[in-house]
Amino acid sequence: MSKKVLVVDDDPDVRLFSVTVLEENGYTPLEAEDGEIGLKMIKAEKPDLVILDVLMPRQSGVRLYRELKTSKALKDVKVIILSGIAKKTFLRSQKALTEFGGAEIPEPGIYLEKPVEPDELAEVIKKVLG
Amino acid sequence: MEIKKLLFVTKFEELGFDALRSLLNLRNSALEHVVFVNVIERDRVAMRRGKGYEKEEEIRLREAANIRFIDWAENLFEQGMEVGCYIVVGGLVPEVIKATQKEDADLIVIGRSHKGVLEHLYSGSDVTELLRRAWTPVLVYKHLSETAISVEEPFERPLLAIDWSPGSLRAVEYIKALKNTVQEVHLVYVADEKTLKGPSAMGIQKTRKEARNKLGKICGSFEAVGIKAREHVYIGDPDEEIEKAAKDCQATMIVLGSSAKTAWVEKFLGSTPRKIAEESIYPTLLIPPEKSEE
Repeated sequence: MSKKVLVVDDDPDVRLFSVTVLEENGYTPLEAEDGEIGLKMIKAEKPDLVILDVLMPRQSGVRLYRELKTSKALKDVKVIILSGIAKKTFLRSQKALTEFGGAEIPEPGIYLEKPVEPDELAEVIKKVLG
Repeated sequence: MEIKKLLFVTKFEELGFDALRSLLNLRNSALEHVVFVNVIERDRVAMRRGKGYEKEEEIRLREAANIRFIDWAENLFEQGMEVGCYIVVGGLVPEVIKATQKEDADLIVIGRSHKGVLEHLYSGSDVTELLRRAWTPVLVYKHLSETAISVEEPFERPLLAIDWSPGSLRAVEYIKALKNTVQEVHLVYVADEKTLKGPSAMGIQKTRKEARNKLGKICGSFEAVGIKAREHVYIGDPDEEIEKAAKDCQATMIVLGSSAKTAWVEKFLGSTPRKIAEESIYPTLLIPPEKSEE
């Protein structure tokens, strides 16, 4: 059975791009348009990988990533961040949340800044999923 | 009544990051989430004579907004805040209402509209329309450059105009919830000359005394939560006197209760909150009554 990959991004064009890359490489894509829907889908569908945007309505990727990494049941879900927000900003925001009393969480393994080429994305997904 | 999440509605030319920065002391109260909203008006991209829908123009406008929002969001994320954004094509007011409901926002921040006189006369302003339709408090932001006053932090020293309406009484509770942000509040009641108890000096003094007593009780409730408060009574046209009171008190914003009058009622009777929101030099916060009170 092909591996399930959830794309969480509010931009339909980016979702379409990622879904196309996933389908062409034999994965089963799932889509969510914001962090809240994304979290529900992660719990319900248990994807093998989440491709996560940062700046989104309702719940950002910063908070969703934090929720995943502090949840016993979800902390092992693999995540690739794909965003226009710089990696250093993402790391600083997590640091600020930790300083405000949040738990310390690991850095994302892969952080891609938009835009990304289809081959680059496919290669990274392959590397993460093995 | 806390402001945990605010919706920052901008077309960029009228409201920039400096405006948002001046509101960030709301974090001392409860603010933790900012949602940026940019509405690309449909007539900028759709149904141009001989062109149809201009997809390329839409993409250009979306990306310009997106790049600006990313820059702003990075600043807020790094402070540990939660940030979201909407860039949509449509009508300003319906899209803002939709986003407010989806996000369950506690405050909408919008700039003063700059429609032409004729356009304003026939279609009204977006701000007026939003105030009429929103059940969420709306802050109509005014820029430093537009005004002679120096408003560093609008929530620091508000002038709260009380007319005993459900909206204005709700505004009292709203300001109290901002006790860690608001330093001092000035309460003003404007007695319309028509409502004075007789034309004599005694009648005027009687009106003033009664109003001051009522305001004094509200001041007491502010002092009880640690906000310094002073009451004032003015006599005359509310539209003008509220503005004068704001100047006298060196207020940083005007706060008023609003109601949901229909468009035609407003056209004939006018509305003080909406007039002040549109015309005052001060940032103006309008608090609607609870839905059930209207």
